Amino acid sequence: MQRIVEAYIGEYNSGKSEVAINRALDLLNEDRKVTLVDLDIVEPFYTLRPLKKELEKRGLTILAWETQDTMGLGEAGNIIKPEMKWALRREGDVILDIGYGVEGAKTLNLVEEKEKNPELRIYAVLNIGRPITSEEEDIIEYVKSLGPVNGLINNSHLGNETDVEFIQEGARIIGSAAEKLGLPIIATTIDYRLAEKVGPQDCLGNPIRLLYRYMDRSFW
Amino acid sequence: MADKPIKGEKRFFVTGNEVVAWAALAADVDIMYGYPITPQNEIMHYWTRLAPKYGRKFLQTEDEISAGFTTCGGVFSGARAFTATAGPGNTLMQEPMSMAEMMRIPAVFVITQRGGPSTATVIYSQQEVTLTCFGGNGEGMRIVYSPGSHQDLYDYTIKAFNTAWKYRFPTFVLGDGYQAKMRESVIMYDPEERGVQMEPTEKIVGKEGMPGVDREPAHLRNTYNTEEELNVVVNELVDAFWKAAPEIVEHQEFNCEDADIVIVAHGVVTRAAQAAVKELRDQGKKVGHFRPITLRPYPIEAMKKAIAQAKEIILVESAEGQLDKLVKAELYGSKVPITPYFRPGMGITSEEIVEFINKKG
Repeated sequence: MQRIVEAYIGEYNSGKSEVAINRALDLLNEDRKVTLVDLDIVEPFYTLRPLKKELEKRGLTILAWETQDTMGLGEAGNIIKPEMKWALRREGDVILDIGYGVEGAKTLNLVEEKEKNPELRIYAVLNIGRPITSEEEDIIEYVKSLGPVNGLINNSHLGNETDVEFIQEGARIIGSAAEKLGLPIIATTIDYRLAEKVGPQDCLGNPIRLLYRYMDRSFW
Repeated sequence: MADKPIKGEKRFFVTGNEVVAWAALAADVDIMYGYPITPQNEIMHYWTRLAPKYGRKFLQTEDEISAGFTTCGGVFSGARAFTATAGPGNTLMQEPMSMAEMMRIPAVFVITQRGGPSTATVIYSQQEVTLTCFGGNGEGMRIVYSPGSHQDLYDYTIKAFNTAWKYRFPTFVLGDGYQAKMRESVIMYDPEERGVQMEPTEKIVGKEGMPGVDREPAHLRNTYNTEEELNVVVNELVDAFWKAAPEIVEHQEFNCEDADIVIVAHGVVTRAAQAAVKELRDQGKKVGHFRPITLRPYPIEAMKKAIAQAKEIILVESAEGQLDKLVKAELYGSKVPITPYFRPGMGITSEEIVEFINKKG
């Protein structure tokens, strides 16, 4: 079985955690062994905090801090949990949820033995609903600033106000940026409630990944 | 001249902090002064990312005292200026905020409340109500808006600059850490295209012409020699504040007309209160909700009308009675009993409010 190792990076609030959690669960549903790593060292476990136990119960291995194991959250700086540094030595698939922005993407530098894991793919999550990545030129500039990227995820949405046309518009704008960047679109994500209206592919033929909302139960 | 940051109207998916940064851009703000503190940091992060693109400025100062004073200084020079802070930073900034009251400086302060007292949590509370409305060694001559959604954050951030420059009192947008980090969609617009004219700014010091010859001298004072001198000045401040108050106060009401129980809540908690009213009405209970949008000045006349029929007020807040204190001071003499639901430093859900009211019977 080909091992899957994917790191999700991108703009603040672009949907990295939501995409990463769903990806990890999708793989788990295929009876694969999956480890999900919270590598956000700016706001660690804010996002996963209320979800960690539930996700573990489902069978995911989660590498993330428990709040009570740390002190001075948000004030005293954060340290990476040693087991995160060696996450790529884990058996099975590894999904890395990386901190936001350019600085966040550098967190990947802290992960050991990337060269021994050529299957590692780094995907930038993009939403044209985010003001800073709403237009093609901005997306190109932004993705270039992130460092190594192997593919783009069209995660365009407007929360509860999302419609299919907005997602397809995202596919077109991000698709055009991807072409100029010489990168593939790995998937277009959509809320599962809109699944019937789209089918298995977006308007450009990219595969659809259904998203179940977990992050709306998180605090931050 | 750089392009307008927002042209027409467009819906975006954003955090509250970003909303504030974009609203300030749309409001034609010239400069932000700031010192980092969670949970307001992304206001600065986004402002500093966006400002150069639109020809705006930013100054990072050495602490919050300085951030507050430099904001006042920027305003003196005629700039539309603001700063943002939270918690202990709000505490430190009280001195410049007091000066802004005394000198009628139209500075705008965005507060994202975090847990208290002291450093506490970086996350959320409604424990900066008293500090924001009445902090400093003065009379609380401040205008304080309490937004409850991202759309509010956008609308009232823009409005805060107009209110400040129109009435010349320091003006606050009192958000919180939940709103700062929460993600939801918002319609951003160019105020002008909605018919909202930005109140013009002007130099407060260094005006054209010879002082005393071509114009009145601009003599800004925060120090006086005697009690009598000070008393005259404070009386003038107080008079000006209460004269403007009826034009400034804002509130929202939900099903108050026939309500036996009125839930009073502000800020992000209004969302839980609104949902609770819906749920309880579906259960056949006569429950309404009064939401002060301005905490200072407080919309007391509207509130008196809203509770005229009520048998009980339930005061819901993420603090140990700070809104409660405001309400009681304003409602002195009212016979309607007030039942507290205080959760200092904790979020409050609609389910919890519904359960609380149902348990009371």
